[in-house]
Amino acid sequence: MGAVQLRPAQGYLKMKPERDDYGLVDILDRLLNKGVILNADLIITVAGIPLVGLSLKAALASIETMLDYGMLEAWDRETREWYKKQFEESNVPLMRDEMARYTTFGYIWYSQGMISSWRPGFWYITNKRLLLWRRMPYDTLFEAPLENIGKISVRKMNEFGWEREEINLQFQDEIARIRVSNLVEFEGAIRKAMRDPEIEIARS
Amino acid sequence: MSETAGEGRYIYSVVKADIESNLGDVGIENSNVYLVPNRDIAAVVHSCVAEPYTTHDDEKAKEWVLEHSYVIDCATNRFGTVLPISFDVIVAGDDDVVKDWLEDNYDFLKDELERVKDKAEYSVLIFCDEGQMADRIVSGNPELLKLKENIETMPKGTAYLYRRKFELKTKKELSEQVFKLAKDFSAEIRELVDSIKIEKKVSLVPEKYRGKMLVAALTCLVHHDRVEVLGNLLEEIDKREGLSVRFTGPWAPFSFVQLKDT
Repeated sequence: MGAVQLRPAQGYLKMKPERDDYGLVDILDRLLNKGVILNADLIITVAGIPLVGLSLKAALASIETMLDYGMLEAWDRETREWYKKQFEESNVPLMRDEMARYTTFGYIWYSQGMISSWRPGFWYITNKRLLLWRRMPYDTLFEAPLENIGKISVRKMNEFGWEREEINLQFQDEIARIRVSNLVEFEGAIRKAMRDPEIEIARS
Repeated sequence: MSETAGEGRYIYSVVKADIESNLGDVGIENSNVYLVPNRDIAAVVHSCVAEPYTTHDDEKAKEWVLEHSYVIDCATNRFGTVLPISFDVIVAGDDDVVKDWLEDNYDFLKDELERVKDKAEYSVLIFCDEGQMADRIVSGNPELLKLKENIETMPKGTAYLYRRKFELKTKKELSEQVFKLAKDFSAEIRELVDSIKIEKKVSLVPEKYRGKMLVAALTCLVHHDRVEVLGNLLEEIDKREGLSVRFTGPWAPFSFVQLKDT
């Protein structure tokens, strides 16, 4: 994920609006006290009523005191770092001279014993592998060297009355079930990478 | 689809988009955030149980709020100005319930999206140095100047009373002056922005401005093309003796969207 920037200001500004500290308190104030609140009959909770709202409001009220003790700075710095981290390029575990060719958000069907679910992550097609990687908690959920991938097919599956398409990929005598938003593009990208791992893959 | 008991959708914002789309695991507690579209607008949601997020742990709570804010930023980047939803608003029901809500409020939401299109919220705090300002008021006011001089030659007891009088009068002049400044600045800024709100309560006075007097706290809805002119005006105010300006943004238009109960 690249850095998120809100509407870069055009040209030279004499005084530029800052969000240098990611304005923690501004964010708290806005999210807890402002913004659209849905119609009452649909809402099951609104900020301010549950405990989280109250405790945060208490935090807001104590900011003056925290400033006196220079605590806010530390508090703010921490938050800032946390926020920054979210923007940072994901450090997907790639091998040396391995290069990501195509990335997309998607799922893999995970089934073991009683547990079965669609596990989300980012699919990476590299010049060496196909892998599904999750940032938090950090884990590689699936990986297959390109040369070991067998038959690839697209299947329509019926789930809870919904018909959804998924990619079935043969790998080590098993079928990996994959879901991504753009199935056709994803399938094409795998095939391309398998044919020629060093080719650049264009995205639509 | 019928409504499943206990199912809920956490709502981050409403955007202008007409396709299903997935924003990835960027939500609260790494929830998968996606769009629920209806006609040409969509709600940005994650699927959860229909229970509020509650905690006694401030750190955790703060993290959630920042995660919510992050999703709003991502959605803004992708779809333009959004209608931000307050923290911890969860619709009881599935995507269809969200769709119904979007449909029931379509006209309002669409109008609001149009109204805030290409605009963002900015916060302007104008501070003054009380001491500096008071000195200037005294030196420009013959009556106060004379009073001040006289006090120096008075006997102790009398001087005390007159000093009180002097202080009260200076304070009165000061608050009149500050009120006038606030009025003038607000009027000037109003000319440049789409909407303006005068805040009665400010939840944060950053360290840099501690000990200073708040002249005006304004929240403005500003078109992207006008931010620069606003910045220029604020720069001029900031340069004036004894005054300083805190200019923050851009924020999603939190202070400018209000959905009334239907």
